[in-house]
Amino acid sequence: MSLSTHNLSVGYHDKAIVKDVSLIIPDGKIVALLGPNGCGKSTLLKAMSRILSPMEGEIHWQGKNLLTEPSRYLATQLALLPQTQPIPEGIKVKDLVAYGRSPYTGFWGRLTTDDNKVIQDAMDKVGVAELAEQLVSELSGGQRQRVWLAMTLAQDTPYLLLDEPTTYMDLSHQVELMELFKTLNDAGKTIVTVLHDINQAARYCDHLIVMKDGEIITQGEPETVLTKDMLKSVFSLNAQIHQDPIAKTPMCVVE
Amino acid sequence: MLNVFKNLPYLGQYFILSFLLCLFAWLSLFSWSIVPITGQQALTALLHPDKNIIAHSIVLDLRLPRVLVAAVVGACLAVAGAIMQGLTRNPLASPSVLGVNAGAALGMATVSTIAPWFGLFGTSVAAIIGGAITWSLVMLLGAAWRGGNEHGRLVLAGVAISALCAALTKAMIILHEDQAAGVLTWLAGSVADARWSHWQQLWPMALVGLLGAFLMSPTLNLLNLGEDNARSLGVKLGWARVICSLLVLLLVGAALSVAGSIAFIGLLVPHMAKSLVGQDHRKVLPIAAIMGALLVMIADVVSRSIIYPIETPAGAILALIGAPFFIYMVRARTS
Repeated sequence: MSLSTHNLSVGYHDKAIVKDVSLIIPDGKIVALLGPNGCGKSTLLKAMSRILSPMEGEIHWQGKNLLTEPSRYLATQLALLPQTQPIPEGIKVKDLVAYGRSPYTGFWGRLTTDDNKVIQDAMDKVGVAELAEQLVSELSGGQRQRVWLAMTLAQDTPYLLLDEPTTYMDLSHQVELMELFKTLNDAGKTIVTVLHDINQAARYCDHLIVMKDGEIITQGEPETVLTKDMLKSVFSLNAQIHQDPIAKTPMCVVE
Repeated sequence: MLNVFKNLPYLGQYFILSFLLCLFAWLSLFSWSIVPITGQQALTALLHPDKNIIAHSIVLDLRLPRVLVAAVVGACLAVAGAIMQGLTRNPLASPSVLGVNAGAALGMATVSTIAPWFGLFGTSVAAIIGGAITWSLVMLLGAAWRGGNEHGRLVLAGVAISALCAALTKAMIILHEDQAAGVLTWLAGSVADARWSHWQQLWPMALVGLLGAFLMSPTLNLLNLGEDNARSLGVKLGWARVICSLLVLLLVGAALSVAGSIAFIGLLVPHMAKSLVGQDHRKVLPIAAIMGALLVMIADVVSRSIIYPIETPAGAILALIGAPFFIYMVRARTS
């Protein structure tokens, strides 16, 4: 258990969005956080990545309180891809990706050959290597999302926390991204991602966590989590569960 | 010509600007003097000073401190502006727009009119305290930490607080007319009266401020990526903000206390520097420092020449260049 929350309440302006959640993120898995809009899945992810401080309870990394661990050390352990990103002016793709190395470089940010290798590798993996010399502000939304992802990968952390990484991406890039998660996962990384597409989550993720109104309703393997009753109670959907003919994973079809 | 300069490598631009800086410093040492000084004399005064030659005395006692103060004041204000823009992620942030200048002026006016007992601590301390108070107020009112989408609100808060401070400053001048001249000279902003004592007061603060700013430049780069990313990349946001704010106050306080209220350098120069070297603060800050120094120095030379032998305040010259540039920038951003 590397990342865990203990009776965690967190929210904005004194209003708790996530309420009293105790959760252990299973190591070495692809974990999806699912739930209707406003259920607190993004808030939970933000708390785990130190963007929001807990109102009550604690978050632990390797058994130690996240708040007391040094920032720079945590930046080499947990990387976050936020949901909404600024559009930085006048920054080239390769320079943006290079900022992912800042937890490792000296204070002046000088890059070593190894750093450059990791940066190139990250750009290759998400397919933005050919955009390296372009300005980030001149890219399309989907391209920009992949560049930010490359920066997160360049951080080279064992845990990746991703807030709706497929937003802005066309279908083929979404599929590529989910395949990339598999590759990264095979290389030993744990991935925690907020997703909207339930079928995508069921097909590519090992462990689903379903939330509603700031609480965890159910969690486990897609086969056990994805049920007619769950869809009815959490998403207010009348749906049937079928087996995906290709991947043999469960999928839901709305009635 | 400008494009050729833009495409030069960073170090090339750096050396050309440094060369221009030295050239104008030299010009500034001997030009438009009532006692004629030649360029040759200006150099020999520096290398082999002879107290019996009037020209040498003028160069060493009046012109040299003036040139040095002008350069360092320009560098401080430009770097402070660059830090403010990086910190708030707001392209309009600068000491003058966000009310630091007006607050410093109010502090200085208060001390020299209604609270002379404070004179013990000196007007520069009063200016720094005034600036610090308005800066904190503007940041609070303008919700500066939310960054990004709140550009308008921060600038509005700055303008409102500036107006309030200006009104209070005027009221104090009217109530205590005998002190008005000193405050007005200060408000106009000029390095004409700079002497070695000013230089002694300026350089330690400027040195600490500028060095600190250069050390913070990698952090400013990360802040530029937005709060969430900066934090995720290991930046301690709270500390970064406190340190950057203190550096701004140190730099602006140092500059304002010797040269008075010089506007627009902090706004203009960071943008000029970024258009040359891009967004990397490790490159932007040194270039901005040199350009700021150069600009104030040029403004000072122009201020002497414009209605020679009477001097116009350098601050007025800078406002003359700065105001149209400001309008141009706002237009370029909104269109």
